Formats: sequence, C-alpha cells, structure tokens
Amino acid sequence: MPQLNIDSVKDRTFDAIVIGSGISGGWSAKELCERGLKTLLLERGRNVEHLKDYPTTNMLPYEFEHRGEVPLEIKEKSPVASKCYAFREDTLHFFVKDYEHPYVQEKPFDWIRGYQVGGKSLIWARQTQRWSDFDFEGPARDGFAVDWPIRYRDLSPWYSHVERFAGIVGNKDGLAELPDGEFLPPYPLNAVETFFNEQLKKNYQNRYVISARAAHISDPQPVHLEQGRGKCQNRALCQRGCPFGGYFSSNSSTLPWAMKTGNLSLRPFSVVHSIIYDEQKGKATGVRVIDANTKEAIEFYADVIFVNASALNTNLILLNSVSNRFPQGLGNDNGLLGKYIAFHHYGGRVRATYEGELDRYRTDGRNPVGCYMPRFRNVYRQETDFLRGYAAGVSAGRGYYSDTDAIGETLKNNLLNRKLGGWYIGSHMMGETIPKETSYVKLDANQQDEWGIPQLSISVDFDENDRKMLQDYFEQLSEMFDKAGFKNIKTEETKNVPGHDIHEMGGARMGNDPKTSILNKWNQVHACKNVFVTDGACMTSTATQNPSLTYMAFSARAADYAVQELKKGNL
Amino acid sequence: MKRRTAIKSLFIIAGGIAILPSCSGDPAKASIALNHLDVSADEEALLAELAETILPKTPDAPGAKDMKLHLFTLKMVDDCHTREDRDQFLSGLRALDTTLEQQTGTSFRKMTPEQRASVLSGILKEETTSDLQAFLKITKRRVIQGFTQSKFVMTDKKQYELVPGRYDGFYPVQS
Repeated sequence: MPQLNIDSVKDRTFDAIVIGSGISGGWSAKELCERGLKTLLLERGRNVEHLKDYPTTNMLPYEFEHRGEVPLEIKEKSPVASKCYAFREDTLHFFVKDYEHPYVQEKPFDWIRGYQVGGKSLIWARQTQRWSDFDFEGPARDGFAVDWPIRYRDLSPWYSHVERFAGIVGNKDGLAELPDGEFLPPYPLNAVETFFNEQLKKNYQNRYVISARAAHISDPQPVHLEQGRGKCQNRALCQRGCPFGGYFSSNSSTLPWAMKTGNLSLRPFSVVHSIIYDEQKGKATGVRVIDANTKEAIEFYADVIFVNASALNTNLILLNSVSNRFPQGLGNDNGLLGKYIAFHHYGGRVRATYEGELDRYRTDGRNPVGCYMPRFRNVYRQETDFLRGYAAGVSAGRGYYSDTDAIGETLKNNLLNRKLGGWYIGSHMMGETIPKETSYVKLDANQQDEWGIPQLSISVDFDENDRKMLQDYFEQLSEMFDKAGFKNIKTEETKNVPGHDIHEMGGARMGNDPKTSILNKWNQVHACKNVFVTDGACMTSTATQNPSLTYMAFSARAADYAVQELKKGNL
Repeated sequence: MKRRTAIKSLFIIAGGIAILPSCSGDPAKASIALNHLDVSADEEALLAELAETILPKTPDAPGAKDMKLHLFTLKMVDDCHTREDRDQFLSGLRALDTTLEQQTGTSFRKMTPEQRASVLSGILKEETTSDLQAFLKITKRRVIQGFTQSKFVMTDKKQYELVPGRYDGFYPVQS
C-alpha cells in the first residue's frame, strides 16, 4: 500500500475519491481504478485484510470462551448491535458497538453498522436478487415517491457485469418478477422445500420457492481464481470472514483487485467530515477528513467523488457539506435530502412441521444460503388493500436432538446418542415499505461525535400499509403451509423496529426532476455533477429484493459513466 | 520454551477452553477469576460434585469433573447471565446442602451418587419454583452445553464438522 505523504497538496490530489470501502465503495474503487483513475479510498474504520484479519475464522465452537454467546456486559452496552442475528462472540469485532458511535433515535431505529475496511460486506447475508420492471415501475404505478429515472434494461448489463465477477449462485427460474442472472450452479432445494414448491405450483398461479440467489462460489471460474478465491465449502460461518473467499466481500474481491491495478490508495481511519464545494468552479473539489486517531483535519482533492459511506452516513456527509451555494447540504436545493427514508419490513415469521414419506430423507452438509419466495402480491395489478408486497426467505431442515429430562448416566447416554428430529419449515417476511417525507434523518442540532461531526438523528416508523401487509403475510404463508399439509403452523411477530433489517435506504433519491430528487439517472447529484452517490442513499423505492446487488450494479454503471464524462471534460 | 510452558500453566482448561485462574491468592476463593460471583473454594467443590451427578464419568467417556464443566458453568453464569440469575444461582448453590439435609436428613455431600441423582431429579420436577431449583436448572443447562460443545463430543465423537464441503438435500436416512 502506498504511504500517503500529506505534506503537499499534490500528494493529496487524486483523480477520484471514494468515500467508504463497503460493498458499493469497493465496486466504485475497482471500476475507477481499472479505468486508470488514481483513486483514493477513504474508510473511517481500521484496515481488515482478507485472511490475515479474520481472527476467528478457523476456530471450533469450543475454542470460544463463551461458546459463541456475547457476554452480558457487552450486550448491555450495545443493545442495538446485540439485537442483530449475526452479532456473536465469533463476529462482534466486525460490528460497531452502540457506545462507540452514538446516534439520536427520535423514534426507535436499530442502526447496525460495520466500521472497517470492507464495511458490512464482511457480515452481510449474501442474498442477491435482481430487480425487475415490476419494481422500478412501482412508484409510478402506485403513486408514491417519484418515478425511477431508469428501468431494468438500464441496469441489466451492469447486473451481469457484477454477477460474473462476484460469483452468484442461482437457478434460471425464468420468472418475470425476478429476472435471471449470470449464475453459478445453485444450492438445490432439499426434499421438503421441493415438496413445498410442487404444492405451490398445484395450488397457486404465481408462487414459487426457488434456490437462493446469493454471492457464493459454487463452481469457481477463472475470474474467481484470479482473485485468489475458491469454492465455498459450506461452512456457513461466513460472518467470520471466509478462509476460502467462498463468498463475496470487498476484502476478498474488489479491493485486492483494485490494489493490483496500482491505482488505489487506501486510507483507513479517515472519517469524512464533508465534501468541499468550490463556488468559483461550481463543483466539488475534494473532501475534508478527520483522522480517526489523531483528530487532525486533512483535505484531499479529486476531480470526481463517489459517496459510498452506507445509506444513512452518506446522508450525514451530504447534509454536513454546507457552503454558500448549498446552505442545507450538498445538492439539497429542494430540501428533500435526508427525507423519504425507507427500509424492509421483517415483521413476521411463520413456521410449521412436516410428517410423511419424506421422513426417509434428511440433509447432509450445509446449505449456506437457503431458499427464496419472490414477491407474489400486487405484481401484475393491485389486489389487496395495501400497496406493494413481500418476498420471503424460506428454508426447511431437520436437526438432531437429545432427551435431556434425566440426569446421570441416562442423560449422558442420550447426549452421546442423538436422535434425528422431524422436518421443520420456516419463513421470514421481507416487505417493501413506502418512502415518506415524514421518515427522515437530519443532523442533530446539539450533539456531536468525537470528531466534531454532528450526530445523526433518525425518525423512521412503520405505517398502516406495513401493518396490513404483515397480516397478509401471516394469512398467506399459513394458508400455503396448510395447503401443503404442514402441521403445527405458528406465526410470530418479530416486533423488530425499523433498521433491524439492515436495509435502510433513501434520503438522496434518484429521479428525473431536480425539484423532487437529489440524484439523476446516473447517480450524479443534480446540482453538483462530479459527486456520485451509489449506495443505499440513492434508492427511490425499496422493492423486496435484498439491495446490495443493485448497489453494486449502480456503482459499476456510475463509475463507467463518470470516467466517460471526465474524458469528455464534462465533470 | 520454558516461558511458554509457564504461561500455559497459568490457564485452566475447562471443557476445552482456557480460563484465567483467580489471582486473589486467597485459598478460600474459587480457583478461577470471577467478576460477579463470590464463590468459595468449598462451594466450587460442591458445584463440581453436582456437575458430576448430572454427567458422571463412565467407562466410555469423561465426566463433568474431568472436563471441568463446573468451572465452565461458573464462567458462563458470571459473564453471560443477568444479575437476577446470578443471585438465584448463588443463593441456590448455598442452599443445596442445608435444604437437602432438612428434607432427607443427609447432606448432599454425604449422599451416594444414586441418592444425589434421585433427590436432584425430584427438585428439578417440583412445581413450586425456588432459588435452589433455578440454580439446578442453570447448572444442568450449562453442564449439558459444556459437554455437548466440547472437543470430546464435537470432534472426537464427530457431532460437528467445521468444513462439510457438501450439501445434499435428499440424503437417505439409515434405518
């Protein structure tokens, strides 16, 4: 890694600056570097190098002091992070603890963050579905937010581009509502999942359970081997960082690739304060950084700036980038920056059991990604008294158990001779929520963090549409399970607050009209063309798909466009 | 080498994990460092007997004492349980001997292994809850966990695979 000499302006000047090294920032950096731009990648947290900085990756369960459980003291000091399913003794070093980076909750909001090189790409759930035009056309058809300035055809080649490089498993299912991609062989459905899918086809028109589309390498291609990545070994311990590079992360993939071009300078411990706007030039000229350790303020300069700080932190940086031209934050002429935040509704689960002839099967090994039920509600036309719909994660399985009633030798014997349990099937809801002006983030007027940057104040809530959707999910999944002959059907309200889904989106939405949006169809800030936003902040609506793949495609597409525009002298 | 051995000997391996020994030097205290639980050496010994009652040594497998599952239990209760749990645990541990002596005329320590198992099973099944029962439930749960999540069970008895490298969703059940 080149050492940065910060003594002269020349040494602090680059062709491009990318703010944030997570899943979208990694892609921005890779694409800009590959196109020959000297790129500075700023990351507020520490460095995490692939393999070297995965301290727990090869540990056995009994090598953890608390067998994976997070000690009470850490939980009590980090109530928000502790609610995340992936926050465990083996992974907690990749999560922000609440007390390290406080924020203001005007309404309860679980802000789950990963401040390190690679960001949350180390700890994500790796599900990657393409959007379809049923999603892009949603706001225009149903009359909310603003119309997306793009359609599926604009993003489709970029989905292909990122899928081939990242390595995405999936089956070509041929569904209009969930377009096929460039797939590696899928993890097949197991006996009961297959049975459920057959039952759905028998009982419904447009309901399916399909193999998850996810960023795992099931069959390494030359481009993956060239990255130093190999086949997923079904450990399903992904959030520790993978010793095989079996799943996609910035650390395993885009960052080392960008580094190999010789064009990347990575600077960890760089907290971005704001983007510098030059009134004479009428564009951004760089970023103001506070060194996380020394608290020293440093300016870096570049022709083009990509903001990939994660959805809400990108909003914070833009809001904090004030100038005479932009007193309310960079590009915020219409006052909408920070507004129309939305998320995914993970409000419910439904589970059931199966008994029957498939009891002659069990599973062997592990499926690291599960299965997926694409949205079936309100796809072709409005059918319900709520807008949009939900997808569902689905998986069936069969575990071992021991009778633990006795004590003494009988108990010990039972523990050493486990019994095969019955099949269960479970699903969780992933609902689209409607972005609203009343759901916003803003700079807190009073409280700052230890780098002198205003804390983010968050006000996001569920609404009536979300409540109706949850009821429909309970009814529909229960009915589907019942029609399949499953028993012991149980619904459970998760009571999760917004943010717990870790799919917060919006605040700097894309749109055709500068009066009602912050970004144009190329993810450029309407009023400051050399600043691009390609993380979750750009999202006009949320659809039901896990969003990361779309951020990756936006990043690659915008980087390609930015370089073309730079060459034409337009930036 | 010598230094490394010395450092190694500072750790006690409980259920396969290293636990820092108590540094108090007070012979009446527990043998491991605890932040919350005030456990004496005598109480630790009693807990060891209780753990051994739950999972005794058998010809084919080590028992709770061999695997130091009583120390694992102390560590987990100390670090991971709520204050309420910790209070009940300690109160139950301290009540064990006296309660049993009142109920049966014999203290836990003086019972045969069979008597111990029988009387503990009885308390665990009682409908009225007590600190003693709460303590026994916590201990049983953690002793079972320490056993099933040990190297002996997971690796030697092949109940866990770190790297399966495969997935089969139609694997025939051997009948």
